[in-house]
Amino acid sequence: MTDRSFSLSRTAVVAITAVVIFLPIGLIFWQSFLNAPFFAPHRFGLDSYAFIFEDSDFWTAFANSIVIAAGMVAIALPMGAALAFLLTRTDLPAQRTIEVLVLIPVFVSPMVLAFGYVVAMGPVGFYSTWARSIFGDVPWNIYSLAGIAVIAGLTHVPHVYLYSSAALKSLGSDVEEAARVAGASPLRVALNVSLPMTAPALLYAAVLVFFLGFELFGLPLVLGDPEGHLVLSTYLFKLTNKLGTPSYHLMAAVAVCIVAVTFPLVLLQRWLLRSAGKYVSVKGKATRQKLLPLGGWKWMALALVALWLVFTIVVPISGITLRAFVEQWGEGIKLADVLTLDNFRGVFDSAEQMRAIWNTLLIGTVGGALAVACYTAIGLASHRQSGGISRVLDYIVLIPRAIPGILAGLAFLWIFLFVPGLKELRNSIFAVWIAYTVVWLAYGMRLISTSLLQISPDLEESARTVGASGRRVLTDVTVPLIRFGLLASWLLVFMIFEREYSTAVYLLGQGTEVIGSMLVSLWGGGAIDQVAALSLINIALVAVGLAVALRFGVRLHE
Amino acid sequence: MNKLVVDDLHLQYGDNPVLKGVSMTLSPGEVVALLGASGSGKTTLLRSVAGLESPSRGRITIGDSVLFDGAAGIDMPVEKRSLGLVFQSYALWPHRTVFENVAYGLRLRGTPSAEVDQRVTEALTNLGLRHLAERLPHQLSGGQQQRVAIARALVYNPPVVLMDEPLSNLDAKLREEARAWLRELIVKLHISALVVTHDQTEAMAMSDRILLLNSGRIEQQGTPEEMYRQPKTQFTAEFMGSNNQLPGKIAQLANGRALLEGNDGWRLWGLARGELKLGDAATGIIRLEHTLIANGAAENRLRTEVVTGMFLGDRRENLFKLGNLRLRCYGTAPANGECWLELPRDELWLFPVAPAA
Repeated sequence: MTDRSFSLSRTAVVAITAVVIFLPIGLIFWQSFLNAPFFAPHRFGLDSYAFIFEDSDFWTAFANSIVIAAGMVAIALPMGAALAFLLTRTDLPAQRTIEVLVLIPVFVSPMVLAFGYVVAMGPVGFYSTWARSIFGDVPWNIYSLAGIAVIAGLTHVPHVYLYSSAALKSLGSDVEEAARVAGASPLRVALNVSLPMTAPALLYAAVLVFFLGFELFGLPLVLGDPEGHLVLSTYLFKLTNKLGTPSYHLMAAVAVCIVAVTFPLVLLQRWLLRSAGKYVSVKGKATRQKLLPLGGWKWMALALVALWLVFTIVVPISGITLRAFVEQWGEGIKLADVLTLDNFRGVFDSAEQMRAIWNTLLIGTVGGALAVACYTAIGLASHRQSGGISRVLDYIVLIPRAIPGILAGLAFLWIFLFVPGLKELRNSIFAVWIAYTVVWLAYGMRLISTSLLQISPDLEESARTVGASGRRVLTDVTVPLIRFGLLASWLLVFMIFEREYSTAVYLLGQGTEVIGSMLVSLWGGGAIDQVAALSLINIALVAVGLAVALRFGVRLHE
Repeated sequence: MNKLVVDDLHLQYGDNPVLKGVSMTLSPGEVVALLGASGSGKTTLLRSVAGLESPSRGRITIGDSVLFDGAAGIDMPVEKRSLGLVFQSYALWPHRTVFENVAYGLRLRGTPSAEVDQRVTEALTNLGLRHLAERLPHQLSGGQQQRVAIARALVYNPPVVLMDEPLSNLDAKLREEARAWLRELIVKLHISALVVTHDQTEAMAMSDRILLLNSGRIEQQGTPEEMYRQPKTQFTAEFMGSNNQLPGKIAQLANGRALLEGNDGWRLWGLARGELKLGDAATGIIRLEHTLIANGAAENRLRTEVVTGMFLGDRRENLFKLGNLRLRCYGTAPANGECWLELPRDELWLFPVAPAA
């Protein structure tokens, strides 16, 4: 079908992809079966597993992870589904505005959100001191396990909303109208037609939220600390210095345990996504559906949605904004007395924090573009290829999905330490870029393949018959046709890279600072002032991306 | 220009055979229609010639150049075959102007740009598109898009132009005009074309020769007149026109003619097509236009009951019944009651009923 050099370059793309994916994960597995860090004298064995399995903290963390993940599903699933129903099927007021606001928690760094909740609703937070002045006591505790689960659940409502509203939108209104005509009331239609037909999407969303809950890092790191609640990812993080020396072998063993849970979940999601699509092909005519009138319930529903928006967006972001402009905060302090710009001066005076800001910008813009270029190359390598290569690619891009960012960062750190000749790169921002690119591979590939799927095969086949080689078809037809999709992908990857933090934690060093990892490090050192200022800067960067995306009508989800 | 020859072509998707040994030829200046129902393999055959499908065996050649040879392991890449293909969807590249859509094939061949200008302009002029050269495809009507697709396929003078359902995307009204226009263009430019269609009228109107495909095999081929007037099989007879069907048994045989007897006792003489034996089940097929309203009993006439009539604009179509039999014919029939229908013995074909497979 194609000339040799073309198929050769395709094979090369697949090979490189396989290496950057399998090398880090392989290293983690190998390290987990050693009894000491790989750079120290070691022998093979199950000692590391034996150690963590005997550690009661490990089991507590494991149980906490499951409790939090399950709690998130219990909260996010009904709320997300209800929100989707309200926004797609009823005459709820202000739908357009809500649809945009709903997505904000997806793009704000969890680290920033967590910090926002601490300064807003922690024991001496802005809203807590306000509540105490009214009720005489603070009626909540965000540091408890339940508090963490509630906050995590509420901030993951958008994920459920996205999948259930997509399912509801793709559900042809004709099938519902057919039920109405056959004599079913609106409620019966919802229960007998709409709900069963969106059930696969809801199930998918439930598994997704559980999976995200299991991976959670920023929220439990910040909120779990005061009362000592550990989850698996924070347990792994705290292991760093458990034995005085870097205990890489123990961390690797924990990492393998995490992946042992997340990888089956990823496979399950993939399988569910396929079965979720089984009703979508039944697409009715795109007639505007008659919206269900809510009547008097309209304002009640709107108030509930607004309450959720206030809790997940207004509270943490107002908390951070306020904290960024005050010297300190506590009981009995007057706002006017403590207002200051010193926090920002502190950031601007610190060389490494300024580097972090520039690096974050660089990795979002240039790095984002390069990442999209890589994703495009991989997408094109398997485009319209039915053979083994695309099947292999299909599965290997799933693997990074199962590896939480913090593990991926750790694995890449080891690669830079371990593989000869790569030591130099360890101290450059390239190290962070490659880790980000691999961690977000599955996400990026989905963006690219969504664009590629929209091209009719006829357009490419006609170029072939006119006389273009396989490679010419890609450069003259395929890529020009997806150029807007690529620009949109770049914008989305920019926001994701601005927001990312956990992947960079272990790679943090002189020259590789980004805002995300800087926040984790500053938080650990108790530098609240700078954390607040940097968080606000981070929010501003994401907001710029979001504003541009909205301005150009980029779809913020697939 | 050279002759296109397809020899014993086989193709399957997984375990599902789509082409089961198709052979055909296309001489220079000839237009051949590939006719068949959906799933008959007609589009697959066309795409195999283009190089977009991978046959499992057989041979495709144009003159001395071998496009595909299963035995010799030759499969010339699509772009090297230099054929023209007009897609059913037209497949115009939405990011290129009309001019650039047409010019692309020439640019790929390294044609100097002055010549590209001249040849594209000529092709666009031929198709009445010159004033649209700078438009983008989405700014054109369906008929104009179709012309651009044809211009794009013709501009580099391919030995054969392949057309996949070229008219199916047009409105019913526009389709008849486009059919005449396309036929005129093909004759004027001496194009050799292989045209896929599922519409027998379109096939007859546009082509010099028709290949009727039936589940991966060629059922019959011939000129439009032969196909319509002398069908060799019941399938061809039924596919090519509107018919009445009369199931029965062979009651008598005499020099190429046979007597068909129905369950209700009616008897009709017809032309024997295929192997008929006394006592065999057979089907009588007659075109609607040969079924005539008659006055009074005679040989090869049936007494029927009027069911209803339909006004079709240029004529009327009537529905009659005789026991379980339903018969249709054109013309003006009595509003109700009884009516004699004549099925002339030279127009009624009798086909053996194929044993259930």
